[in-house]
Amino acid sequence: MTDVILEKVGKAYPNGYHAIPSVDLSIEEGEFIVLVGPSGCGKSTLLRMVAGLESISTGELRIRGERMNEKEPAERDIAMVFQNYALYPHMSVYDNMAYGLKNRGMAKNLIEEKVSDVAAMLGLTELLQRKPRQLSGGQRQRVAMGRAMVRDPKVFLFDEPLSNLDAKLRVQMRVEIRQLQRKLGTTTLYVTHDQVEAMTLADRLVVLNKGKAEQIGTPMDLYNKPATPFVAAFIGSPSMNLIDANLTEQGIKISGALTLPLSHQHRGGIVWGIRPEHLEVSDEQNADFALRIQAVESLGAETLIHGKIETESGNGEPIVVRLSGPHLPDVNSLMWLTAPVSHWHLFDAKTQQRL
Amino acid sequence: MTVTFPQKGLPWLLLLPQLLVTAIFFLWPAEQALEQAFYQEDAFGLSREFIGLENFADLFTDPLYYQSMLTTLVFSFSVAIVGMSLALLLAVMADRVVRGKLAYQTLLIWPYAVAPALAGVLWWILFDPSMGPIALWLKTAGVNWNHYLDGNQAMILVVIASTWKQISYNFLFFLAGLQAVPRSLIEAAAIDGASPFKRFWTIVFPLLSPTTFFLLVVNLVYAFFETFGVIDATTKGGPGQSTTTLVYKVFDDGFVGLDLGGSAAQSVVLMAIVGLMTVIQFRFIERKVQYS
Repeated sequence: MTDVILEKVGKAYPNGYHAIPSVDLSIEEGEFIVLVGPSGCGKSTLLRMVAGLESISTGELRIRGERMNEKEPAERDIAMVFQNYALYPHMSVYDNMAYGLKNRGMAKNLIEEKVSDVAAMLGLTELLQRKPRQLSGGQRQRVAMGRAMVRDPKVFLFDEPLSNLDAKLRVQMRVEIRQLQRKLGTTTLYVTHDQVEAMTLADRLVVLNKGKAEQIGTPMDLYNKPATPFVAAFIGSPSMNLIDANLTEQGIKISGALTLPLSHQHRGGIVWGIRPEHLEVSDEQNADFALRIQAVESLGAETLIHGKIETESGNGEPIVVRLSGPHLPDVNSLMWLTAPVSHWHLFDAKTQQRL
Repeated sequence: MTVTFPQKGLPWLLLLPQLLVTAIFFLWPAEQALEQAFYQEDAFGLSREFIGLENFADLFTDPLYYQSMLTTLVFSFSVAIVGMSLALLLAVMADRVVRGKLAYQTLLIWPYAVAPALAGVLWWILFDPSMGPIALWLKTAGVNWNHYLDGNQAMILVVIASTWKQISYNFLFFLAGLQAVPRSLIEAAAIDGASPFKRFWTIVFPLLSPTTFFLLVVNLVYAFFETFGVIDATTKGGPGQSTTTLVYKVFDDGFVGLDLGGSAAQSVVLMAIVGLMTVIQFRFIERKVQYS
């Protein structure tokens, strides 16, 4: 069943600025959707429009078939977790979680039951009488989630909820959020700028760029078949190698020095891409090109090698190679590489669409 | 950070002007008052006689003094409560204004720059029973306004005049306090189903409590000690004793009634009250509720 539908939803400000031209998205019940993009891409604005904290300028938002554009945030049956948690500082953890239920006129004993259930689920039972300032970052985060869960809303909205936590806690909370969402089965819309968070949490991802949905799909769809160079560069770490090139009769010409044979009907400017993990070490005879090594990053389990494609003029395109396991090639030495055709990504330079 | 001066003399030299001002205009008169409180002086200041605590004894057996204390309390709390409520209302409204925000805020701050006596005269004219526009309007509305005869009306007048001046100050602090409340808290409360009214009383107002408490103390101190100008320009403490606050009584008894000793004893009592209020103020403001 489709739960949330955004139909040509757009946001224009009174000064004429179109933050979001038009976004179409339909979310299934229980689905975990992540809105991801660089800062300023409109992802938070879009989330706030769903929450009712920002007005919807054009298009329509429907939750369970009902038009929501004119409804107050409280009438939309959504719950939101804010980046700074937005816990009420003068209220105890219990009161923070009970506030929304009290406002809805729920009976006191029922509130107590609900809050203690959720608190137990999140391991907050011991902390119910504390004030937010007496909690650690991770605990505050949990309270913020508890406050959202206790109301049993139709939709959860998360606005970069993990960005104020340290790296270790972030990984832990990420797993917890995913497990909780699975258990509760609540439709979720989650905003982040962190592609790892996006890839690991999402059933489907929406990559936003300048207020436009560049691509919507499962994390693996986006990884395997990015629709635009923007998505290609955004998903995956380190990012995909993207090089401006020309497609001719002979194949792909890069920097006028390197030709990769390919028969394709398209002619003219393209963006050629290959992920760092798909480049393979080879020898001089079989290699597609040589890489002049500039820096080596050894991470133990893998090694990132930064270099430039070796050309006669000496200013080849920069390339990153990701090899598994430890490698220690000399800086400034040459490394022979092949780029398997099956892993190439080609985009039209003009339309920025996948070929 | 500590800065150390090579010579011992220079820091004192730099402090000297402030120390002189404090000594000449604050410490010396205070000492004089303290001394005078134990003497009885003739009206022309030609002779005086040590009488110990008699001035204080007179003071604390004088029903008029207690009457004045009550007047001061009524006056001060009225000024503080009316001033703060109106300022909060204005601050909440100014905080919601989007267009021309700066103009509103600037206009609302202006009255603070008006001298107390001028503020007094302004309201005195507006409320003058024979020609004041507000008094005349009140008459057509059926209220017989004459603060020269009616003590309660006189009290209302001095409260209005004193409050008007203090609203700007309160407004500034409330506005800053409101702007410090994170927007996301209000949004969270909106999602939690609280009406705008409820959001204000359950979220915003409690978060303003440090500001509110600070302003309560400041306003009480203001009403207690800094409203002489307003009262002198409007009612001169009258009719009868109905607007004679403790500070006005010090002036009235000392310089009009020429009872310098009694007036000095009153100022010593006032000094004690100021001290007490300062202690309370610092105690609570130091321990101001910390929200993070």
